[in-house]
Amino acid sequence: MYLVGWLPISLFVMGGLGHLGQGRPWTTAAAFFLPLTSVYAFVCLSAWYVCRVFPIEAGGRASRAAGVHLIAGAMTSAIWVTLAEGWAATLDALTPGFGAMALHAEQRSLLFVVGVLLFWLVAVLHYLLIAFQASRDAETRALELTVLAREAELRALRAQIDPHFLFNSLNSISALTSSDPSAARRMCLLLGDFLRATLRLGASSRISLSDEFDLAERFLSIERVRLGPRLIVSREADEASRACLVPALLLQPLVENAVVHGIAHLLEGGTVRMAATRVDSVLTISMENPCDPDRPRRGAPGIGLDLLRKRVATQFGEDGAVRIDESSGRFRVEVRIPAVTGA
Amino acid sequence: MSETRLSVIVVDDEEPARLLLREYLSAHQDIDVTAECANGFEAVKAITERRPDLLLLDVQMPKLDGFEVLELVGGGITVIFITAYDSYAIRAFDVHAVDYLLKPFSAERFDEALSRARARMRSHDTRPLPVADLVSSSRPRRGPLERLLIRDRGEVHVVPVAKIDYIESQDDYVAVKTGGKSYLKEQTLADLEALLDGTRFVRIHRRFILNVARLAKIEQSVTESRLAILADGTELPISKTGYARLKELL
Repeated sequence: MYLVGWLPISLFVMGGLGHLGQGRPWTTAAAFFLPLTSVYAFVCLSAWYVCRVFPIEAGGRASRAAGVHLIAGAMTSAIWVTLAEGWAATLDALTPGFGAMALHAEQRSLLFVVGVLLFWLVAVLHYLLIAFQASRDAETRALELTVLAREAELRALRAQIDPHFLFNSLNSISALTSSDPSAARRMCLLLGDFLRATLRLGASSRISLSDEFDLAERFLSIERVRLGPRLIVSREADEASRACLVPALLLQPLVENAVVHGIAHLLEGGTVRMAATRVDSVLTISMENPCDPDRPRRGAPGIGLDLLRKRVATQFGEDGAVRIDESSGRFRVEVRIPAVTGA
Repeated sequence: MSETRLSVIVVDDEEPARLLLREYLSAHQDIDVTAECANGFEAVKAITERRPDLLLLDVQMPKLDGFEVLELVGGGITVIFITAYDSYAIRAFDVHAVDYLLKPFSAERFDEALSRARARMRSHDTRPLPVADLVSSSRPRRGPLERLLIRDRGEVHVVPVAKIDYIESQDDYVAVKTGGKSYLKEQTLADLEALLDGTRFVRIHRRFILNVARLAKIEQSVTESRLAILADGTELPISKTGYARLKELL
């Protein structure tokens, strides 16, 4: 490609400079200039390194790059002119009376100027190529980022419902079918309601805080069938907070953790407290549960909390915050997001 | 079918799960359920007192999980694990479980596990299943010990390793020192050393393993030997090789 691009240039140099030396046969001009320009085509590739080392950036470095190219162009061209002189002498020595030396002597300064200009042309092309590649890279990166974000969201959705919750619930239903059929039916209905709600809600949909608390409570009431009186739920949301919109199932990883890593490890159980308050434009939601500080740490609760942090960060940026406290047998997560109500 | 009667203990922290097991067991005339336990502590007590023929054991429970219960009561009991998590299966066969039931399971599947248990008991075979050999060779080692289980004078203690100050060897026992208390555990110091996290616990002496986090300073005594001074003022001797190990870690 690059060499094909050089073909018209060498023809132009040959035509222009060769024609100026009037009366000289075309063969002389061709024999002299064609090899010379092809060699220069390769020499000019070195401009690539200069361009790479001195990129043109947004801030004021352009003058330095221009200076460097001025010197590099002059030097390269000077070398070229010297090469041309040697080449002309060689041609004349091979073919006496060929007249290449005379041609060169006439056009030496013009050749130098053309050499410098060609070097700059190549440099400019290189800069264009670099800029083009940079923009393509940026595009690819942006695309990769959106794909990653979408994947994370999908993974988040899948991870929101722990399959073991389903297995345990099904086992409870299986147990209740013979001993307490109406309780088994109640459990089926609860489970159906909960699953339908979680399937309907996407990672980007928002629901009111009271709906979100309803979902969390429904989940906990299913777990209560399994854990019995060990699991107690309390809920407090002030008037102003209830209509605030929150990302759907934001609290799901928290209620799961509260059961799996909290209540389930306690002989006597305890209370899962959900609370929400709104002060001006800030909505604060908290989830608190007792826990056993000496519980085994396998099946890290970190995954669910990471998920929560990521969702808050991607949806609210600087305006969202997640705080996690574990001290003296209590585990508490506080989420602060902008208070927004549906229009 | 009923040659001898079979005593069974059911361990699960969920009421409905115990209900289901009781129902499935009620179909078998030769089985006596001698105890039902809702947590690991109860289970250890009941198993030690009654030595059942068969144990139906949940894995995830408060305080002590199913594997920890087994570790505390020792071997020689036929166990069927029951859990919603398939990820414990390999460990279950490592501890010679007869079967591994995944919740929810049918009465037929339960009966199958039961007859497998009966066959095992008839043959008095306590060797691991062949599958255990297969998986244990390819299985990555589990991480270092996180909690120490100690049965001392009929009581069960769960000590998180971070709370251990140091461990002292006493013949066939080790004394685990934590916050001024001392618990005796039937284990050798070398065995325990192998189970603990080598970056947090160092064998500083033939008779002592030290929790490095408790070390306040090292004192050079008049003779060649050195002393480790703990944060609470306790002094422990450091042997030459122990000092080399300690220095390498610090």
